[in-house]
Amino acid sequence: MSETISDHQPDTKPIVSSAGTNRRLIITAVALSLALLVSFLFTRYSAYRTVQENFYGQALVPAKEAFDFHLMDQNGKPFRLSQLRGKAVLFCFGFTHCPNVCPTTLSDLAKVNRLLPEKDRQRVQILFVSVDPGRDQPDVIKKYVPYFDESFIGLTGTEAQIADAAKAYGAFYEIVRDSSQGPDNYSVNHSAFTYLITPSGTWKLIYNFDQLGDAKRMVHDIEQVLGE
Amino acid sequence: MRILFLLLSLYLPIEAVLSQSVPVKIERAWIQAVPPVSDATAAYMKITNLSSKPLKLTDASSPIATRIEPMITTRKEQAGKEVVGMQSVSELIIPAGNSLELKPGGDHLMVMGLLAHPNEGDSVKLTVRFAPGDQKLDLEIPVFKEEPK
Repeated sequence: MSETISDHQPDTKPIVSSAGTNRRLIITAVALSLALLVSFLFTRYSAYRTVQENFYGQALVPAKEAFDFHLMDQNGKPFRLSQLRGKAVLFCFGFTHCPNVCPTTLSDLAKVNRLLPEKDRQRVQILFVSVDPGRDQPDVIKKYVPYFDESFIGLTGTEAQIADAAKAYGAFYEIVRDSSQGPDNYSVNHSAFTYLITPSGTWKLIYNFDQLGDAKRMVHDIEQVLGE
Repeated sequence: MRILFLLLSLYLPIEAVLSQSVPVKIERAWIQAVPPVSDATAAYMKITNLSSKPLKLTDASSPIATRIEPMITTRKEQAGKEVVGMQSVSELIIPAGNSLELKPGGDHLMVMGLLAHPNEGDSVKLTVRFAPGDQKLDLEIPVFKEEPK
């Protein structure tokens, strides 16, 4: 330490020319701004890392206010997302005639719900939004969604209501008709994301289909969101 | 010893089936339970081809459905988003000595026009057909509400 000080002492002697002082000032300024820039970037990066590392789901950076969709619930009553303020909400889009992806999604979410501690489960609502309003009337969806877990709520709506909700969450769907089949016998291709909304109504996380199988990590995310 | 065999034969249908007729080993076979309002579901299993020639899974049937088709799950980028879809295929190929995994979110047997809605704990008869030739494999697979792990 003392060596360092003595090394620098010659520089601080007042015999240095004014040009030298200027140069030193410039160097100091450059060094200072570099240090600032580095620390700024580091702070941003670590904030980003925190968001990424603490959550299993893909975090929206920055998180967005959740679009307040207006749909119809499985009892035929109007349903808005904002009714669920105070609860963490997990929801996905699908259709009841879906043989593979939707039953898997719903049974994975049922597992997540079951794994939640009782006190947390009361503060979580899982929803399934149909993108096939032609076939998925409230009575149909009521016989489908709660089958996987009694607490789940199935939603449907008019084509326009569903289109608005899907658009706001970046979901995609299209009806695929097979000319050899009857008019009511069609499939629907759709994106298979699950969205997590915080109790204060912020859309914070997205899960892709393959992530839902890890119920433990899903529960960990939900508990973090409930604790915020 | 006989009792041991009997116990083994009771146990085998669930864990693994070594077929007499078709050179395959079937593991983790199950069918997804769905509510009565649903007219379609899917069956899953891991099929290992024990022969030295490729096998093709061409068709399947069951008393609980009007039609069963081999399907692949497609994942396409559409406007920057991953869209999951299904496509019926005429066959699923199992290379010699290799396995075909039918699983949720992947290739599967789509079970359409459900005539019965078995519950978890039930088992369902399923006949799977392979080419070359018309090699039939009769299975009895368990029904689960959630993927067994």
